[in-house]
Amino acid sequence: MRHLLACTAAVLLVASTTGTAHHAISAKFDDKRPATLSGIVTLVDWRNPHVHVFMNVKGDKGEVENWAVEVESPIDLESNGWSPTTLQPGDAITVRGIRARNDSRQVWGQSITLSGTGRQVLTFTPKIPPEPLAKRPTPRWPDKQPRLGPIPGGVQGYWAFPSSTVLQEDGANVKMDQWGLLANINDAAKVAPMQPWALALYRHRQSRFLQDDPTYLNCKPPGGPRQFQIPYGVQFVEDRERQRIFVLIGGGNSNYRIIYLDGRGHTGQVGGDDDNPLYYGRSVGKWVGDVLEVDTRGFNEDFWFTNGGLVHTDQLKLIEKFSRPDFDTLKYEVTVDDPGAYTRPWSASWTLRWVAGGELPRHLCQENRP
Amino acid sequence: MRSLIVLVALSVVCLGAPAGAQEGHPLKGSWLGTWGPSKLHSNDILIVMNWDGKTISGMINPGTDNIPIKNATLNPEGWLVHIEAETKDKQGPLTYIIDGKIEGLAFHNRSIVGTWKARNESGPFKISRQ
Repeated sequence: MRHLLACTAAVLLVASTTGTAHHAISAKFDDKRPATLSGIVTLVDWRNPHVHVFMNVKGDKGEVENWAVEVESPIDLESNGWSPTTLQPGDAITVRGIRARNDSRQVWGQSITLSGTGRQVLTFTPKIPPEPLAKRPTPRWPDKQPRLGPIPGGVQGYWAFPSSTVLQEDGANVKMDQWGLLANINDAAKVAPMQPWALALYRHRQSRFLQDDPTYLNCKPPGGPRQFQIPYGVQFVEDRERQRIFVLIGGGNSNYRIIYLDGRGHTGQVGGDDDNPLYYGRSVGKWVGDVLEVDTRGFNEDFWFTNGGLVHTDQLKLIEKFSRPDFDTLKYEVTVDDPGAYTRPWSASWTLRWVAGGELPRHLCQENRP
Repeated sequence: MRSLIVLVALSVVCLGAPAGAQEGHPLKGSWLGTWGPSKLHSNDILIVMNWDGKTISGMINPGTDNIPIKNATLNPEGWLVHIEAETKDKQGPLTYIIDGKIEGLAFHNRSIVGTWKARNESGPFKISRQ
């Protein structure tokens, strides 16, 4: 019991300072079914992954119905100046949104207006850092090797705002939304060179609007290249003395992976990895000039390694290349080699932006609150 | 930063790993269920399957010995499964043939439902992934 209490306290402590990642809105809500609700707030549930506002609405026959209005995550709303007390029980509001696909009394709230004042609340505008006025040089260690993380004693920061949030083979240019949902499911085969069963499974996931994504349903870590495409970014902590790099994950489930640079192989890493076995695989890396090359293998099959539901097997091997061409840009290149699911190796690349002065947002997933 | 890492590690340990899932090849894993001449009179069966990127391999165990899978296919058009396993008994060579369809594909406890036959016997068949 003492262990449980300690764990609960620690989780609450972390959760109180964390943000979260989003599921695909279209997984749960149908943008072709608009709804307008007017009623009285009964409860504001300010938790991951999305805030819910419960409200009583009078039905057609005068009966009172309780509806749930889902809006953005606590971290996004708080970054826009909203708080758990912005709306209070008893407030009269009008909500415009879209209805749940399963016909339950749930809407995705596109706008919430206080009836008394006409003021819109819980609005959200992404805060993308401005483009730097001039390119700053790559920060380096005394031996000239590029730094991937913040400078101890200097300006803190982390990497976020990937130039692409979906994984597809370089040059494919298939149109998808930010969660990897295809604009046209007939384009599925163009995304990557999938084996027939993997393509069929990918199409199946797409046809269900990604609602089965275990990252959101069951809090599975976003292993593989997905860790660099989820909201809220990543942080590199370079432990040069022990020749390893910690990659801290801002979204997903606030866990981390270790890249070993000490020459060890892919085996014998249990002692260093046993609190997140195999979701992030076993990574060994080396610097080749200004590029960190990382060979990762040993993944399990319990998660989706991309937004959008591309399939992988335990035969997955990744060759990742990290470089920092200037202070504010991290270039990420990955080659996916999985003969269990693909017909040949294939590659993708994108960049991330440096968010100066910020602390990495952290997230603890709450199961069954997709 | 060290306190951050400790806190994150502690949170991961506390949360633990969620229940097992299998998001790779849909047939891979251990399957348990029943087969028999009828739904009222059935026997337990265990099937273990693996996928190496080209071939489905594994074994079936109807309660006697493990019988290696000789041939198995998955047709993603309709998620149709065909399994053949060959052994010998007192009467000579014995081939089990199972044909079914995956149900609940998206779920880790998905099922294969269909029929089996061997010599002159046949019946319904249902296994669920464990």
